Amino acid sequence: MRWSSLPTVIRRSILLVAIVLLWQIYVSVSGVSPLLFSSPVDIAEAFLEGWISGELAAATLVTLQILGLGMLIGMLVAAVLTTFATWTQIGDDVLVLLTSMLNPLPAIAILPLAILWFGLSPAALVFVIANAVTWPIAINVSTGFRTVNPTILMVGRNLGLRGFRLVKDVLMPAALPHTISGLKTGWAFGWRTIIAAELVFGVAGGGGGLGYFINDARYFLRIPEVFAGLVTIALIGIALDAVFTWIERRTVIRWGMKSGT
Amino acid sequence: MKEREERHPLQSSDGELDRVTGLDSSKTETSGAPLLIVDHVQLGYVVDGRTNVAVEEVSFEVRRGEKIILLGPSGCGKSTLLKAIAGFIEPVSGRISIESHELVRPGPDRAVVFQEFDQLFPWRTVSDNVAYALRVTGKEKREAEAAAGRFIEMTGLSHAADRYPHQLSGGMKQRVAIARALALEPLMLLMDEPFGSLDAQTRSRLQGELNEIATRTGVTILFVTHSIQEALLIGHRIVVLGQSPSKVEEIVDVRNVEDPDTEEFIEVRRHLRELLAGEGEDVNHAVFE
Repeated sequence: MRWSSLPTVIRRSILLVAIVLLWQIYVSVSGVSPLLFSSPVDIAEAFLEGWISGELAAATLVTLQILGLGMLIGMLVAAVLTTFATWTQIGDDVLVLLTSMLNPLPAIAILPLAILWFGLSPAALVFVIANAVTWPIAINVSTGFRTVNPTILMVGRNLGLRGFRLVKDVLMPAALPHTISGLKTGWAFGWRTIIAAELVFGVAGGGGGLGYFINDARYFLRIPEVFAGLVTIALIGIALDAVFTWIERRTVIRWGMKSGT
Repeated sequence: MKEREERHPLQSSDGELDRVTGLDSSKTETSGAPLLIVDHVQLGYVVDGRTNVAVEEVSFEVRRGEKIILLGPSGCGKSTLLKAIAGFIEPVSGRISIESHELVRPGPDRAVVFQEFDQLFPWRTVSDNVAYALRVTGKEKREAEAAAGRFIEMTGLSHAADRYPHQLSGGMKQRVAIARALALEPLMLLMDEPFGSLDAQTRSRLQGELNEIATRTGVTILFVTHSIQEALLIGHRIVVLGQSPSKVEEIVDVRNVEDPDTEEFIEVRRHLRELLAGEGEDVNHAVFE
């Protein structure tokens, strides 16, 4: 049977198993120091232990709470900016200027300032996350609003829709593909940023999230736990991507507003 | 899907349609005071305090039950004029009034069917596109859904009622747009080259269907096109506009001109061609199709 004729799930599963096997064999055969590299079996053990003892779950919860709060604030700020950008020219100018300045800046770069302003507290993390997610969301949503097809807007007005109802019933659904892709990018930025920020916090001796968990495990040379933390981060990333894909399938892809993959 | 398109869309009986629209199907004759009055209307847009005129000065009237065509070369401002009647654009000067009331803003009493296929809400199914329009204009949910079903049946799309717009062909999309506009029971239907993006066969089929629907419902139609053929097939009267900034060249009564094989039809067509040909460029595009 030809490789390319196999279903995607099968192809990927085979590759995954192969990689894990090679990895296991390498660690078993090469005699690499367990202080540098762990075998898949040890990692799985540490992963299960971490979740059963509740240590990893607690760390994950802390990280997700801070991320959630940061995303929420970022979304609110983005909503306010987008509203001004949609209705006024100066709002649009402000948004474009701020986005072009702040979006290319890796959000983690402002962590030292955040620590200076908020101390070694969760507030500093929330601030950095909010900054990381605000700009991709704001620029995407405002692009979505500005590029709504003019015909459909005229149809809405022809029905007598005005003001908030026109925004809610026509503009917002029409801009949904952009909104979702903004949230997706925002979430991806936020997720990377919070792990990085927590690692720095870990070095500085504070916090309790996944980044801290990894750094702590390294400090005490519990290398399989370092890997278990990384696996957790990757799995959450995959899960949230799946959630977005699910939302897209049920909405914009179903409506033919975005082609499926 | 193609095969379904071939099916005749008006399967319902006359009685059913009369119930649907509440209009007298025998009323194909136009009558009474003008429904729409376009009085010395000038259209344009202002740039740096100067007015760029698109439509110089246009006056005409539309009576109830009439199908009136705005015919003119591309870029003559006929679509702009339709948008002004729809209430999207304010005239620079002059008056547009419907039922003796001056227009203020867009409204469902002048339901618009656009040329673009994307005039349907992509996030709503065919039936929901129609039902939503009715709910917005004040109907109860159940009433709206029932009426939507009837108008979708009238345009021959019952089998596609639960599809989303992206699952429809161009011709079907335009039919949904027509169903939605008719369901609003407007004072008049404003149609902006609704068949302009369709292939020739679908186009001529939809022209026939529109004529039948108009006859059955007695709906008043203002129809914009640059095709003489289409103007003659659909219109009762044709308002011929010249090159931009445009004026009314002539209003031609073609009520009795229907059969393309008659001497009369050929004569009127020649006359319209000459009217448009007098307008210079774009003649080939506008006339010979």
